[in-house]
Amino acid sequence: MPKCNINGKEIEVKEGTRLIDAFKEAGEDIAHYCYHPGLSVAGCCRLCMVEIEGNPRLQIACNTTVQDGMSVSNESPAVKDAVKWGLDFHLINHPLDCPICDQAGECELQIQYMKFGKYDSEMAEPKVKKHKVVDLGPKIVLDTERCILCSRCVRFTDEVSKTHELGIFNRGDRSEIGTHENKPLDNNYAINTVDICPVGALTSKDFRFRQRVWYLKNSETICNGCSTGCSVKTYYNEEGLFRVKPVHNEDVNGYWMCDFGRDIYKYANKEVRIQNPELNSEDITIDQAITEFESRLKSIDKSKTAVVVTGQQTVEEYESFLGYLKENSINQVYHWINNPDSFEDFDGLLIRGDKNPNTKGLLEVMDKNGFNKPWSELTSKLESNEIEHIIVVAPENVEMYPDMDEKVQMFSKAKQLTWLGTVKNDNINDLKIPMKSFVEKSGTFVNYEGRRQNFKKVTVIVKNAICLTDMVSYLKNKTLEIDNSPEHYKRKMNYFTQVRGGL
Amino acid sequence: MSIVKKPSKTSNWYLPGILSGMGFTFKTMIKNIFNRDKMPTLNYPEQKYNYSSRFKGNHVLTVKKDGSLRCTACMLCATACPADCIKITASEHEDPTVEKYPINYEIDILRCVFCGYCEEACPVDAVRMGPEWQTPGLCGSDFNYDIQHLAYRPSLKGGALSRVDEEERHKSGI
Ligand code: SF4
Ligand code: SF4
Ligand code: SF4
Ligand code: SF4
Ligand code: FES
Repeated sequence: MPKCNINGKEIEVKEGTRLIDAFKEAGEDIAHYCYHPGLSVAGCCRLCMVEIEGNPRLQIACNTTVQDGMSVSNESPAVKDAVKWGLDFHLINHPLDCPICDQAGECELQIQYMKFGKYDSEMAEPKVKKHKVVDLGPKIVLDTERCILCSRCVRFTDEVSKTHELGIFNRGDRSEIGTHENKPLDNNYAINTVDICPVGALTSKDFRFRQRVWYLKNSETICNGCSTGCSVKTYYNEEGLFRVKPVHNEDVNGYWMCDFGRDIYKYANKEVRIQNPELNSEDITIDQAITEFESRLKSIDKSKTAVVVTGQQTVEEYESFLGYLKENSINQVYHWINNPDSFEDFDGLLIRGDKNPNTKGLLEVMDKNGFNKPWSELTSKLESNEIEHIIVVAPENVEMYPDMDEKVQMFSKAKQLTWLGTVKNDNINDLKIPMKSFVEKSGTFVNYEGRRQNFKKVTVIVKNAICLTDMVSYLKNKTLEIDNSPEHYKRKMNYFTQVRGGL
Repeated sequence: MSIVKKPSKTSNWYLPGILSGMGFTFKTMIKNIFNRDKMPTLNYPEQKYNYSSRFKGNHVLTVKKDGSLRCTACMLCATACPADCIKITASEHEDPTVEKYPINYEIDILRCVFCGYCEEACPVDAVRMGPEWQTPGLCGSDFNYDIQHLAYRPSLKGGALSRVDEEERHKSGI
């Protein structure tokens, strides 16, 4: 294991580590654009300059491997100067777009300029004009003027998605990123290019102009789009959730996530959610709703009560809810699988056919409680009107349940339907209790390979929503402690007002 | 420590004070009656006082030569606003040279403290504070100024034109 000295810090790194990674390991800041740990090295932005002792010239850290006894620094005036003028080159033809650029606020050009730049431009020539608002496909817009040609996006489509849509066309200061004719950038991982683009050249159509990034807070959670369970960060403010980005997790998703997972915020937002408990389309309070639910449980014969569950809730919820059912000897629990044909699919990178984040967790808890009835039994019992009360713990990710309407019709054959769901469904007008979505609760998902992943509550979107654990604790102890801290409902506080102090 | 001030002897002699005060009042009255032009008060609302154009009064959204809004919906004014009273909804424009523009721009003038930070923050001279200072209204919603009011109210006579011009800037390579 080679030892090296980074800005005066002695560290030991693995054989073959790149200098830039050694800097990150040592906790030292280093400017860079083209290097991305999930991609190959290009060495084209020339911003990661470092001074290696005994070497007369500055070198780039991303394309140099650590040698034993190396002493490296990026704090000398020579390095700072090199970065500064490297930055000047990047910005020669860069437009003054920050006000209308979605990247502003998290733009690497802005960050590095404030750290190393702060020069006055010495260019007398007019800027080279290139194409703006180029439609790259259904999800992404390109602005070639803002691009700094770091080639990250090109390498991504070559190495990760292996779809090879992007390329650099033309030469010199006319070089542009582009797609080939009739080959739009449209693969299941395309929006990752927006994340890795250090500037605002690639922007996602879904997020474009919806919020300035400094109005968003973020918090990590687990994607509930499929059974892979990627680590993600959700960006939100008091108006709701706005976007989802991947978080590096070597064991699960690496640096990436799929584009379907980016839509998971849409069915957690207010507009689509059940706001209040409803009984026959009339709003009731949460206490009334649970009392009604309890009286249904008590008054209807156990053998005529059925429960439908999906793999979309947390392990903790299953444990308390299924445990409660077992205690009350309700044994007809059925696992709703939306797509039995494609359930086992896998695209080789991240996307799995099982569109539930916690199927493994559900099966574990069902096994523990001895629930193993086949779905066909429920269908036949509903046909023959043997079920009087059906309780459906509905999926959150309704887009992945295209057979929803059909199934709701089927469930409606029972005399009474209790719908524990997050997303509105106008076809149901029996008892509806609003549930918390995955961003409103803490818990555990078990992914396809049995990895247990904990996640924390992000925010509160629907005030009245409860989770299964809350409900069971109400049924048992008659107290309802909904964790929906009101802090979120306060009037929006301007970040700068907070920092500077209001007037 | 408490200080007790006893009324002084002279305070009993209030009459001279009152008389000299009345004297001043009558002197001014007579002066104004015979010299009306120099009278400093106005017959509001028939007569109005116009502040200089630098006065920081009600906001104006400036327009381009073709009459469309200059604002690019960058939200810098909303970010700078200490009273948190600017609300903007941005959207994509069909014209690729415009790219982003506000479909909604509202100022809650009752929250506004007329500090002028919005004007200073704006990178394109799109929001200004004009010399108008009267803000009457009959109900709360009258004080929520929208684009129609901010940019095209009758007193602006079709909109205030900004000196900055994108096309010129674009041509000179900025
Ligand atoms: S890419 Fe960065 S520097 Fe360039 S316009 Fe966008 S925010 Fe500004
Ligand atoms: S579009 Fe972004 S990621 Fe791609 S080369 Fe340009 S700056 Fe790099
Ligand atoms: S004048 Fe001050 S308080 Fe009023 S809108 Fe502008 S920034 Fe906000
Ligand atoms: S008025 Fe100016 S600062 Fe405010 S959003 Fe429009 S362009 Fe930006
Ligand atoms: S990060 Fe090393 S050259 Fe770009």
